[in-house]
Amino acid sequence: MAQPIFSFKGVTDDILKDLNFNIYTNEKVMLFGPSGAGKSSLLFLFNRLRDPKGGKIEFKDRPITEYEISNLRRKVGLLLQSSNLFPGTVLDNLKYGPSLCGEWNPEDAKKLLEYVQLPESYMNRKVDQLSGGEQQRVSLGRTLANSPEVLLLDEPTSALDYRTSEEIEEVLERLVDEHQLTMVMVTHDLRQAKRLGERGLFLMDGEIIEDAPLQTMLTKPKTAELKDFIQE
Amino acid sequence: MEPEVSNQSLLFLIVFVLVPLTLSYYYQLGMSKDIVWSSIRGTIQLFVVGYILTFLFDLNPYIGIPLMVSIMIVIATFHARNKGKELPNAFGVILLGLITVEGSVLALWLAFDMVEFRPSEVIPMSGMIIGNSMVAMGLALERMKSEFTENSGRLMAALSLGAKPNQASHLIITKTLNAALIPNVDRLKTIGLVQLPGMMTGLILGGVEPVMAIKYQLVISLSIFSSVSLSAMFVTMAMYRYFFNKNDQLLESEEELRTQSK
Ligand SMILES: Nc1ncnc2c1ncn2[C@@H]1O[C@H](COP(=O)(O)OP(=O)(O)OP(=O)(O)O)[C@@H](O)[C@H]1O
Ligand SMILES: [Mg+2]
Repeated sequence: MAQPIFSFKGVTDDILKDLNFNIYTNEKVMLFGPSGAGKSSLLFLFNRLRDPKGGKIEFKDRPITEYEISNLRRKVGLLLQSSNLFPGTVLDNLKYGPSLCGEWNPEDAKKLLEYVQLPESYMNRKVDQLSGGEQQRVSLGRTLANSPEVLLLDEPTSALDYRTSEEIEEVLERLVDEHQLTMVMVTHDLRQAKRLGERGLFLMDGEIIEDAPLQTMLTKPKTAELKDFIQE
Repeated sequence: MEPEVSNQSLLFLIVFVLVPLTLSYYYQLGMSKDIVWSSIRGTIQLFVVGYILTFLFDLNPYIGIPLMVSIMIVIATFHARNKGKELPNAFGVILLGLITVEGSVLALWLAFDMVEFRPSEVIPMSGMIIGNSMVAMGLALERMKSEFTENSGRLMAALSLGAKPNQASHLIITKTLNAALIPNVDRLKTIGLVQLPGMMTGLILGGVEPVMAIKYQLVISLSIFSSVSLSAMFVTMAMYRYFFNKNDQLLESEEELRTQSK
């Protein structure tokens, strides 16, 4: 198998207990578990929105703390649960990340809209006039604008209806494939997990209690907890 | 002509207290004790201040002015700090802010001969500057706290996109400053139209020509306007950093804010 891109060793904090796992380049990992299990908390460690109390996290064989923090966050893009767009136009949002380091190329705007499958005419629309699904697309475009290598997603469709969720999934599926992204995604939705992921991490009370290929996990859950979770 | 309210006429002020007292009694508002107490307290407070001012005005200005201005600044600092207790260094920042604002306004007044270095001029005018700055700083702190809570998602998004705290806070800083400045701009626009400003009223009652009174009012209104802007700017710029830790992470709870050592 490929090199691990992320490696967690004995990672511990108030919620998470002694996590040990690797994430490999181009892997598509689905993180699921009951509410309050610590999924978001775990996700925020990847781009250092939070730091653990103990243990070690390595990104590409170097301690994550050795990277300049803004550079790390550009390489490890995060899409939060609700879209959290900045007030202004679609374009304002798309160029936010690259502009911070003077790397915005106006030509990229069209490309980004195409990635997330929004019509070009949306460029100068105000974001508060967009639907929930469209806003989530803009958020995704905003994250992609930094050309991340790793994409973290925290329940990207939980605020959307079924149809819209499926559309977003389609966009994600294509993007991850086309850009060879490594993806770690939190989701409640097993159907979505099966569609987008290959490996599952089942988190409960801050512990990873199952770590296996999704197919195996969902058809032959080892623990009673996971069995219950699947049945719900 | 020295206008004067005689002591006998002062006694008839009781009528003004009797009106709310009767209302409170009649409608059983249960505020009678409060009304009586605050009237007495207010009266005593004012008389005490009156005597203190008489005493200070007789002092050498080089003693009286610094003394009174420092007292006002310290009291104002304690008061404004209450709005941002959970933030580290709020006291120091506000104190420094008030000293800076009052110091620069006073320097301008004296340099351009707008105010004379006499306790009877400097102290009341400084009181207005310090009082208004205190309110502005308190408001800015409160506003900033609520903006940070309301926008924590956007801030996390900005940080995730590689923004530094100053870049991520930009939105919040603008909003805080806007909120602090808009009422003042509005006040300036309607000045003299809706309500004669307090100081002008006082001067006119004191027998000063209206146009002269207006000149003074202009000095104080514009001074207040700029001190209020400066105050809001000062605390906002000095305090936003405390909502983040040194790893550009957003602090999310009051406890985290308080316990961070930096
Ligand atoms: N900033 C914080 N400070 C203290 N505790 C927190 C903080 N954020 C979350 N928690 C707590 O940590 C635990 C895990 O939260 P987390 O958000 O990681 O759960 P989650 O698995 O993402 O849940 P959900 O599916 O509801 O999003 C919860 O008990 C939560 O109350
Ligand atoms: Mg969560």
